Amino acid sequence: MFKDYRFTTNLLRVFVYTVLVILLIVTIVPIWLVVVNASRSTLEIQQGLSFLPSTHTLDNYGTLLGRGLDLGRGFMNSLFVAFCSTLVTVYFSFLTAYGLVVYKFKGKKLFYNLIVALVLIPLQFSIIGFYQYMSKIGLTDSYASLILPLIANAGAVFFAKQYLEAVVVQDLVDAARIDGASEFATFHRIILPLAVPGLMTTGIFAFVAAWNNFFNAFILITTRDKYTLPMLVQTLRGDVYRTEYGAIYLGLAVTVVPIIIIYAIFSRYIVSGIAMGALKE
Amino acid sequence: MNLTALKKINHGYLFIAPFVIGFLIFGLYPVVNTLALSFTDMTLMTREGNWNDFQNFTRLFADDVFMTAVGNTWLLWILNFIPQIGIAMLLSMWFTNARLRLKGVGLWRAMFFLPNLLMPAAVAALFFSLFSYYGPVNQVMVRFDLLPEAVHFLQKIPVARALVIFIQWWMWFGQTTIILMAGMTSIPVHLYEAAMVDGATSMQMFTRITLPLLKPILVYIFVTSLVGGMQMFDIPYLLTDGRGSPSQSILTNTILMYTKFASSKGHIGAASAVGVMVFLMTSVCAMAIMYFLRDKDKDK
Amino acid sequence: MRKSLFSIVSLLIIASMLLAGCTPATTAAPAATAAPAEATQAPAASTEKTILNVWSFTNEINTMAIAFEAIHPEVDVVYTMIPMTNGEYQTKLKAVIGTADTPDVIALEAAFVKEYVEADFLADLADLLPAAQAAQTYQFVIDVGTDNGVTKAFAYQATPGAVFYRRSLATEYFGTDDPAEIQAMMSDLDGFIEMAATIKEKSGGDTYMVASSGDFQNPFFANRAQPWVVDGALVVDPMVEEYINIAKLFRDNGYEAQAQQWQEGWFAGMNDSLVDADGNAKQVFCYFLPTWGLPYVLAPNSKSADGAHDTGGDWGVVTGPLPYQWGGTWLGAMAESPNLELAKEFIRFATLDEQNLTNWATGVYTNAYLAAIDPNVAPDQAQAAGDFVSSKVVVNKIVASFDNSELSAFLAGQNSYAGFAEAAPSVNAKLMTGSDDAIQRALNDPINQYLNGEISMDDLWSIWKDALRTEFPDLVIK
Repeated sequence: MFKDYRFTTNLLRVFVYTVLVILLIVTIVPIWLVVVNASRSTLEIQQGLSFLPSTHTLDNYGTLLGRGLDLGRGFMNSLFVAFCSTLVTVYFSFLTAYGLVVYKFKGKKLFYNLIVALVLIPLQFSIIGFYQYMSKIGLTDSYASLILPLIANAGAVFFAKQYLEAVVVQDLVDAARIDGASEFATFHRIILPLAVPGLMTTGIFAFVAAWNNFFNAFILITTRDKYTLPMLVQTLRGDVYRTEYGAIYLGLAVTVVPIIIIYAIFSRYIVSGIAMGALKE
Repeated sequence: MNLTALKKINHGYLFIAPFVIGFLIFGLYPVVNTLALSFTDMTLMTREGNWNDFQNFTRLFADDVFMTAVGNTWLLWILNFIPQIGIAMLLSMWFTNARLRLKGVGLWRAMFFLPNLLMPAAVAALFFSLFSYYGPVNQVMVRFDLLPEAVHFLQKIPVARALVIFIQWWMWFGQTTIILMAGMTSIPVHLYEAAMVDGATSMQMFTRITLPLLKPILVYIFVTSLVGGMQMFDIPYLLTDGRGSPSQSILTNTILMYTKFASSKGHIGAASAVGVMVFLMTSVCAMAIMYFLRDKDKDK
Repeated sequence: MRKSLFSIVSLLIIASMLLAGCTPATTAAPAATAAPAEATQAPAASTEKTILNVWSFTNEINTMAIAFEAIHPEVDVVYTMIPMTNGEYQTKLKAVIGTADTPDVIALEAAFVKEYVEADFLADLADLLPAAQAAQTYQFVIDVGTDNGVTKAFAYQATPGAVFYRRSLATEYFGTDDPAEIQAMMSDLDGFIEMAATIKEKSGGDTYMVASSGDFQNPFFANRAQPWVVDGALVVDPMVEEYINIAKLFRDNGYEAQAQQWQEGWFAGMNDSLVDADGNAKQVFCYFLPTWGLPYVLAPNSKSADGAHDTGGDWGVVTGPLPYQWGGTWLGAMAESPNLELAKEFIRFATLDEQNLTNWATGVYTNAYLAAIDPNVAPDQAQAAGDFVSSKVVVNKIVASFDNSELSAFLAGQNSYAGFAEAAPSVNAKLMTGSDDAIQRALNDPINQYLNGEISMDDLWSIWKDALRTEFPDLVIK
């Protein structure tokens, strides 16, 4: 009986690993092609696809440098924008969501509906109106116009609210109150630590979104010194009559690496929720 | 008691105040602006706009393109969402399964998330080269006699649609897995332990514990994926000519909106009207999702 | 337990950072976060030079901007490049119009220059017309920049098109590689089609006349008798129908390689490495390319990436069956510019100044030359010799200097500059309007479907017209 159980478990494992490997191949092949292209010359890329790396990585890097692109500065700019965006998004979305989950107040339902409505509104092309508005209040060509609107990031609040509903136990909040903790202290000391997996999930997505946001950034930011890394890579694509594909792919690959590192560091906290669950008891 | 109740009320407002202020300063204008523009014939190249009542909307329904776009968008979304949520659910169950105890869960999950980090432009360009007339897919299929001669894949309606569906699935199933896992790992372990003591099967544990407790997260996934799907743009835009070719088969709501927005005159009023219609349609569906997945116990 | 303790601590650190840094900022936030950005701006504003803001979508014009600073030391040209690959440039232009951030000079690509020339945002550049007359700027260049008699944009380059053909294949199939004789053969459409048939027959289908029928779409459309829109109504010129018929003929008879412009098959044909899906080698006889197509597209791609194929020196150039132009960059001044006179002076210098255009076309603007003016110039900012400029005076002056250039070696001794000089006067751009690009792009997919045999000619027109209704709600379409 016991042996049988182990046998089926192992059989299941073989099956699961097989599926995982197939999925891995499917996800990795196109990414591999990007990495390979980063090592190929523009001519090679124009003349077809290859699964084998070539020898032009340094040439491509030379092209990146030759364009006078200050990649280091772009990297720091990206890091600054992405870091602030992430902090603002994570903190304010959970703050707002906590207010919605724990308290009863007049207009709460209306407020929640507003947030859901904001999630649903397609605003992709409202950027022109937004720019002219920012221009009126003097925030164009400033990172503030990229970061501060995230205080009211409806999508993140929506996630945080759904998440906190699953996590927050009213007893815990009440217990903290009995211990004399203030409302904000309860949020900061009890709830935030409990919600680490949710915070990290929101944070990673917010970071990726901010890091890869170049379209709106191009509209709002004008000074070259303030360009972020993806913006610099995009300017390479601008040379419409002779596009340096090799350098572009190298730039893409370089741009992706920092997010992978950030992801690697923070993703383990997503799972640590299991330990949290145990701690709750 | 009265005092604490009052305190609670005040604090509720305090917690949501930053959001409200941030929204009033930054968020309100674009929303109102979009709504107002949808009732005008404003173009970007003239900067003059007059109220034209509901003409933008009546025009949308008068020509078939809008309905084509709506139909395409639904088709492309549903066909990528079903495998997306299905595989994400399977993966997150496997990854959190105590019996399987898979190795390198974090690594697997990270690998599956990777496609999401690539810029859509690069992804679309790669798939374009793979399936082009002189590309590797044609070479392989002709040389192995799977096709008599090379085919213009991206000019075939089923292929173009299948590619969009595949790429969307490919880019997003990892993220959905992460969100589901965040929800699953928040479910107290003792519930499962108790169930195991009671001799529950893993299927029972899934339907009786995991699914009900995951409902809020599922609502989030369904709604945001619906929104993302209804606003699908990058991949179908970049994969072919940016106009939903072939034969408008991958023309989505947002591509239609963009076409109006980026047309030589910049018909921003007409584009906003598409946005408003998409919003109304999404709202109805989102409300339906939230109604069906509502916490039934709470209502009693 | 240790792990969870660690996360709590780290969270508390993050939370306290947030509390210290961000929470008080909710009301006074704009000032707080805007501060670092303003700090970087301050030193730039403190210079006493007049600032001229120039926006473009490539780095090319930055060379001119630096050269301009050399003769106008009191001016600081702030050059901003915004890519247009995803429409960032066009969107940003539309966003800044009417705001305080409007640039002084903007670059306009052929695909959208007319939209702006037809709108009211650009300043009237009538002051510069005498200079254009002196430079003998090609008429079609001025026509593109003119709307209702008002000229609002000039270009430093003229981009007439030509036909580049493989000399070895010409000798093989037509017994001569002499440009004059080849031009005589393809001087009209019937001759062009006849050549395609000859090549197909003699090569047994292994050599195609063109890589893609899309290659000659531009020349056909450039030779319409009427614009796309007349009195607000759509007009389909007979030339459009003729193009579709000939494209269908090329497809059905196997005269074209079915490649797509800017895709691998199209490039592979340039260096003779084209291989069909079954592995059979194929060849392409000719390519329709404009001035910039030679140095930027054809010459670099004449060598295959693996070095096994090289067609350099095997090319000839002729004007082809139909005169046309392709691409090009125009410059306009924003009407709201506070430095309008200076903006005009910049445009005059960049597009009409004899000395500047001569320097531009003959390779004077090397990186070292630019670095002497602006030490911070990027290492590969420079302008190689060979761009075809818009001034007939300059062209006539320098044309002989290209007799022994690298590019003429590529063309087996033929001076391409002379060829373009011959083609440029017959280019006509009077019919061009701001809607052309969108109207023509909408036609591509129905044409492809028709060529593939998926739809009928009637469907082609109705699908195209439906698409146009979406984009041009006010256009009358019958």
